[in-house]
Amino acid sequence: MSVILKLENINYSYIDGGMKRTILKDCSFEFEEGKFYTILGPSGSGKTTLLSIIAGLDTPESGTFYYEGIDVKKMGLTKYRRNKMAIVFQQYNLINYLTGYENVLLAMTETDNPIPKNKKGVAYALLEKFGIVKTKADRLVSKLSGGEQQRVAIARALGSNVDLIFADEPTGNLDTATEEEIIRIFKQLTEDFGKTVIVVTHSNAVSRFSDHRLKLENGQLRLMGENE
Amino acid sequence: MNFFQRAIKNTTRKLSKSVLLALTFFVIGNFVIVGLGISNAAEQAKVMTRKQMRAAVTYQLDYEAFWDYIEELPEEEQMEAYNHYPYITDDEIQALMADDRIKSVNAITNLQAWPIDIEGVPLNNEYEQNNYGSSMSCWIDETGQEVCEEYTWVDPELFIKANGFSGMIEFSDEMYILKEGRMYTQEEIEDAEKVCLITDTLAEHNNLRVGDMIEISFESPSNFNNHYNSWYSEMGLTEEDFKLELEVIGIFDNTQIADPTADNFDWMAKYESPENIVLMPDSIYAEHQLNISLKSWEYYKQMWPDDEYYQNEDNMPTMDNILSKSAVTLLLNDPLEVDSFVEQVQASLDGQYRLLDANNETFEQLSRPLDTLTLFSSMIVVLVLVNAVVIITLVTALTLKTREYEIGVLLSQGVSKFMVIAQFFVELALVAVLGFTLAVGSGSLIAGRVGEAVLQYQVEFSGLNETEVDDDYNYISNWNDNYFTEISLSDMVDAYEVQISPLIIGEIYVAGLGIVLISILIPSLMIMRYNPKKILMSAQ
Repeated sequence: MSVILKLENINYSYIDGGMKRTILKDCSFEFEEGKFYTILGPSGSGKTTLLSIIAGLDTPESGTFYYEGIDVKKMGLTKYRRNKMAIVFQQYNLINYLTGYENVLLAMTETDNPIPKNKKGVAYALLEKFGIVKTKADRLVSKLSGGEQQRVAIARALGSNVDLIFADEPTGNLDTATEEEIIRIFKQLTEDFGKTVIVVTHSNAVSRFSDHRLKLENGQLRLMGENE
Repeated sequence: MNFFQRAIKNTTRKLSKSVLLALTFFVIGNFVIVGLGISNAAEQAKVMTRKQMRAAVTYQLDYEAFWDYIEELPEEEQMEAYNHYPYITDDEIQALMADDRIKSVNAITNLQAWPIDIEGVPLNNEYEQNNYGSSMSCWIDETGQEVCEEYTWVDPELFIKANGFSGMIEFSDEMYILKEGRMYTQEEIEDAEKVCLITDTLAEHNNLRVGDMIEISFESPSNFNNHYNSWYSEMGLTEEDFKLELEVIGIFDNTQIADPTADNFDWMAKYESPENIVLMPDSIYAEHQLNISLKSWEYYKQMWPDDEYYQNEDNMPTMDNILSKSAVTLLLNDPLEVDSFVEQVQASLDGQYRLLDANNETFEQLSRPLDTLTLFSSMIVVLVLVNAVVIITLVTALTLKTREYEIGVLLSQGVSKFMVIAQFFVELALVAVLGFTLAVGSGSLIAGRVGEAVLQYQVEFSGLNETEVDDDYNYISNWNDNYFTEISLSDMVDAYEVQISPLIIGEIYVAGLGIVLISILIPSLMIMRYNPKKILMSAQ
């Protein structure tokens, strides 16, 4: 398996009440292609900060991270966000004046990745694959349930045809049954679509389904275990 | 889904917000249209009135400045300076005519003449029916006896307009219309060819055709039958010296008529009739006059051997002296160029005792209500535009706060900040276009009513109504060298009409887009500072 994402001595700290608080300290790790990773850790351990750095939403104090061997900083964060990764948030982060279909289409339009010409058909098919039928896909996302919105967010992540998908507490707002459905979808993303999925979560249920369970502790990532 | 499509979706799906913003633009648009419409109408009214006026400019001696100069000189130098009176020369006028803004030049010498082999067209008025042409003149002779002599005055019958240039304003303005033959050329003027043009009625009355000869005199025949005759004889001047034979090369229609209802009609002599005008090059008259002047010069030189002036050969009459003018009238091609022409030429004449007059005083006085209106409406436009920028900037900046989350999502999707700004610009521009489009209809109605009401107030307030020209007064005079067209306040007010032209509509949309563009600047700076992590993670 080749390495899709490599972290090299990532450091990140911030000043809190006049005190310097170190979140990541020489954090290094290699994520392999086509695997499902979960990152666990107590609140305030810096999971979300780590995710925002590797998702190109923030920049580390020092250190480098590489996407398929290319320094992301050199690639450009906007380009990286547009063409290499997608992110699924706990709050779904959909554009509320667009329909589910239009949210997926937005990702498909913005990316420079090769997208089939029939974008409309592909967008509806993606949504349907995750249980959003056309009638629901054509509703404004604010009219959909939390689980449905999260499915739309996942479909959007796939819409841009990226290989790397991040998720930050994707099941945090969902009931248990829906949580399971979403976890299966993530699993499906790695197995059926060959995507690399990195999920930050508190949930053991989610981590049980991942290939690799990581823990962020003392500013560093540590492999806790692997599931067969 | 690009930024434009997103902007359309946002505008159409967040309808209440869009409608409120469009209403704001609608109100702004109305003010701008009212302001621009009134300002434009006022400017147009001035332009139309200016166009109605003849584009005439008088180029004349600045007497006051010259006298001021003379008075500043030591007394012994004053006479010498006065002898170099700064008359306008032919060369000077020729230099002016090189300016392609000038259409025609009238450097006219007005003269009276007595026909010899023709007669002037009669007026059949009271003056002609009564004999006012003789009087008794009495004086005491050397022996102390009273001597009386009946003095018979023969009125001139022809009015000569001798021009130094072939392009006469009257022809350019179609006051005179050439019916037969041609106008004399510049070469004929330079060569002092004895040619003339006569009116069609004068031609008809005397059965004249183009190519015929006429003979005129610049002195009354009666003066060769009274005491003048001996004086002329002493000078060596005979009746023949005053005669001139001219070839008729053109016949024209003078559109001015001797109106029997005119105030001065009954007291007009034949030479005052517009039908008895003869046009000729001024060089003919000058050549003719030079001969007479030289003879009288010699006479005075011999008569007063101690007179410095007559003994100085430099003061001898010349063609240039005779041809020199104290004022000429220039007709420009475009009335709208008059002001810039006057300003430009006047600036180049510093210290030459020359004055250009475009008769702008009346125009400027009558323009005052319109100028106030323009100022008032321009101020409205500026104030509204400044306020609009402030209001829309604040609204956009406040709206931005509520759309931080959306911006964060777009940025996380890889949408560039510039595309986010472009989307917001399009959203604003769409509602601005909607608001301004609605305002075009209502604004033009409001502008018309407000503009007329304010103009009416301005006119009443200025008291200019009292200065209107009395149209009932009419007076005919061939002497009139005033080529300025009289205008009245009502001419200008009548020309005032608020119309929202395509140009104004264009200006409104440009102003609207300008407001949007400026209003988006500050919010854009805010967007450029946005960090998607902060937005999205704080939303979690």
